Amino acid sequence: MSIFRLLASRILFSALTLLLVSILIFLILEALPGDVATRILGREATAKALEVLRSQLHLDQPALVRYFQWLGDFLRGDLGTSIATGRPIADVLGPRIVNTLLLSLFAFALYIVLALVPAIIQAVNRGKTIDNVISVITLLLLSLPDFLLATMLLFLFAVAVPILPALATISENSTWQEMLRAMVLPAVTLAIMMAVYAIRVLRDSLIEVLRSDYVRLAELKGLRPRAVLFRHALPNAIVPALNVTALNLGFLIGGVVIVERVFSYPGFGTLLIDALQLRDIPLIKATVMISAAVYVAANLVADVLAVLLQPRLRTSR
Amino acid sequence: MKKLIEVRNLNIAYGSAAGWTNVVQGVSFEIARGEAFGLVGESGCGKSTVAYRLLGYGTINSLVQTGEVIFDGIDLLKLDATALTRLRGSRIALVPQNPTTSLSPGMRVGTQIREMIATHRALPPGMAMETRIVELFALVGLPDVGHRYPHELSGGQQQRVTIAMAVACNPDLLVLDEPTTGLDVTTQRQIIQLLADLRARIGMAMLYVTHDLALLAQIADRVGVMYAGQLVEVAPCETLLAAPAHPYSRGLIASIPTMDGAAQPGQGLRGVLRRDQMSTGCKFEPRCDFAAAACRTTPQALEPVTGARTVACMRWREAVAPHVPVLVKREDKKTAEVPKRVLSVADLALSYTRPSLFDRLLGRSSPAVVRDIDLDLRAGEVVALVGESGSGKSTIARAISGRLPPRAGIISLDGAALAPALKDRSVEELRQIQYIFQNPDASLNPRRRIRAILARPVDHFGIEVDDKALETVLDNVGLHAGYLDRFPEQLSGGERQRIAIARALLVNPKLLICDEILSALDVSVQARIVELLRSLKEKHAVAMLFISHDLAVVQEFADRVAVLYRGELMQLADTATLLSEPLHPYTEMLLEAAPSLRKDHYVSRPPAVPNSKAAQGVGCPLAGRCPRQIGSLCAETRPPLQTTGNGFVRCHLGVEALPVHSTPTDARDPSVQKVSSQRSL
Repeated sequence: MSIFRLLASRILFSALTLLLVSILIFLILEALPGDVATRILGREATAKALEVLRSQLHLDQPALVRYFQWLGDFLRGDLGTSIATGRPIADVLGPRIVNTLLLSLFAFALYIVLALVPAIIQAVNRGKTIDNVISVITLLLLSLPDFLLATMLLFLFAVAVPILPALATISENSTWQEMLRAMVLPAVTLAIMMAVYAIRVLRDSLIEVLRSDYVRLAELKGLRPRAVLFRHALPNAIVPALNVTALNLGFLIGGVVIVERVFSYPGFGTLLIDALQLRDIPLIKATVMISAAVYVAANLVADVLAVLLQPRLRTSR
Repeated sequence: MKKLIEVRNLNIAYGSAAGWTNVVQGVSFEIARGEAFGLVGESGCGKSTVAYRLLGYGTINSLVQTGEVIFDGIDLLKLDATALTRLRGSRIALVPQNPTTSLSPGMRVGTQIREMIATHRALPPGMAMETRIVELFALVGLPDVGHRYPHELSGGQQQRVTIAMAVACNPDLLVLDEPTTGLDVTTQRQIIQLLADLRARIGMAMLYVTHDLALLAQIADRVGVMYAGQLVEVAPCETLLAAPAHPYSRGLIASIPTMDGAAQPGQGLRGVLRRDQMSTGCKFEPRCDFAAAACRTTPQALEPVTGARTVACMRWREAVAPHVPVLVKREDKKTAEVPKRVLSVADLALSYTRPSLFDRLLGRSSPAVVRDIDLDLRAGEVVALVGESGSGKSTIARAISGRLPPRAGIISLDGAALAPALKDRSVEELRQIQYIFQNPDASLNPRRRIRAILARPVDHFGIEVDDKALETVLDNVGLHAGYLDRFPEQLSGGERQRIAIARALLVNPKLLICDEILSALDVSVQARIVELLRSLKEKHAVAMLFISHDLAVVQEFADRVAVLYRGELMQLADTATLLSEPLHPYTEMLLEAAPSLRKDHYVSRPPAVPNSKAAQGVGCPLAGRCPRQIGSLCAETRPPLQTTGNGFVRCHLGVEALPVHSTPTDARDPSVQKVSSQRSL
């Protein structure tokens, strides 16, 4: 199968997944008790006023019609209006997504380092003390819930040794140094939480690859150890870790919600919680759809990378 | 000649939870500049461990206790990692055993060669890297395949790539670790031919590690025979093969099946190498036919005997003394009545995938991988199915055993047609066809004791069996009741294969399918399994379909041979007449490629009409590769089936035009006469 055919079929599947997510979200929110119009206007609103608002929000139309209207609007880029603030959702979401994206990129970069370095150290020194020490640490971190880790880091570096700000509040006027300082703790928390899974997978697959015939031949070709490791061993060892990374990105989306909350970081996650608390249904729909899209896209990228790293997969019929 | 590398008193131990085990003891030898030295022995004798030390390489759990490996005045075992890195690849290079797993899967093969040259800055001055790589490919007989990934090449091509890589920096010494073991006979011979060629052209020295003495005969100048970590004999190759001095060398050579079918002097080896049953004296003593009381306690070291030969045996004179050749007379007891037909396969066609709905709608059909197979097996008959890998041998066996429902054709047992799929066959039918797999390590459950492994099929088929019967069946395969309580991992490879055979026999089948059951075993073990199968066949009148890629083994004990090429039967003949009958050109190629125990100057013949491959399902599958092809006829028209004395040949050439096998023993080569007279001492 050519890589293009593979790509096309994967994209098709991704689109289908997102369509299913949109149906599911719509159905769940539809099933929620309570009336949106009453919620906005309060209990004392007159029946007349409620009627007018309902027709403005198209709530008087059948669910199927509203679903397709919403889906059509969404596909055209019109995310609707937030009920709580009355502002267009795109305006509300935009800056928050940028903030979360910055945080995620920072966390992801840290994640790659935090996953690769210990795994390589472990695999190269397998069976030795350092291998066992790192194993115990990853196991410990693996068993900690994310909010606890966040709180611990917060206590350590903002309270006990106050070198970093406890609250990661940033605004449009913050300088980039301020933003970076604010992002360190949440990013480190996220990166650690993701890395502990990847370290274990990467260590085991790297050990297996280091034992392989082609690594031995590379060594006996007289290549320098660094070249053997980075050119022959790592690219092949990374493949199993890619799937973990894709799953980790799913975690990143969930983790962001909790970690942003702990550090009061004005991102996408805090917005999602606010939207849920205020029952701002259009905003909920938009945020959930966007996080689902990110998750699906991450898996797509992981699949494509796996094929690129393993040429064998490209020609197998 | 000048010494290139010298191994002095090498002792290596492997560490495990149980402590240290000596795997290499007191090994010393030297290789001169440009010399090809062969190291031969059965699996586990330590030959590879020694070979890798010549590259300064050892596994983490191995320890060099004493010894030196002197290369160019430097002891490689004392060299630091950086210096070793500089040496490896540029002056001493490796050709690995399994090219498929040894080439980096995610890197183009050209890049892998480029990396080698770049690391050692070994680009000839004034030459572009690309030119050099193409030149190297040409040297090993490949077109420019630099942009390919390893999986896009065949096994033989992959091995050519690793050879091109190994010679890329013009090394002084090439270490070859069983470089042809996984390859087909014809490919194997081409690789050997290539190596001999390269040696003549580049003049590098070689250390050739193998378990196959016949191959060594084609390439080595001198040979060292290893047993249980020690060198037991070192001699010029021809001398060794003609007149082995050490009893182990004798046994090893006698175990090798040869195509010319000449009766071997002496007997094959008995027993197996057991490191836990080693005497303090000669390691080979427990298995030696010439052992005296003193052998048990006196350690043996290599002593110069005659000329360039050294032997580690105090009784070598007795061993080499005239010795009544045990002529295994294989009389064909042609019984008057023809035995009953057990299995018959008619018009069998197979394909791996069922056509998908999409393909069926378009009226497309996937090509059959196996077609037009007609085969009969009578009670007590052994029919060998021979062909290269990918020819469809195992696929046919899978269809007969019911694991692959055929696309067309009928398989019948005892005259009654069998259901195509396994699940539709009756328990009784299942019992009558038993299957023995290639790899006994994978076909025996490692967590069950032998008793449970044997009892499982017996329970399944509801046969009443007591311990006595289990003991009898073990006895039949040459094992004893003590094995019942062992686990498979406590057994050697040959013993495990015996258990697999016992398991199949226990349910009293009519047909035994043996799928390459010898290829994972050492020659001495192979010889004994063949002996076992022969006696079982005579005792129980069980029919066997014996699948193999090795014509030499097959002709030792099969009644008839079916030669398969790309899913089609090319020839079917009585084994006895296979050598004299008109041959299919493909059978001829196989026979020529099988190495004999002397240098036979094999040259693979080029195809008569290259680049005229037949489309699948049209013409002869051998077209484009056949040295006797007649123009474009072969590629375009399906060859007719011509009946011969006791079988058939599928070929366009008339029976009278077909070749007859000329045994390599012809008058051309005067050394042959000498060799054979010495061997039948």
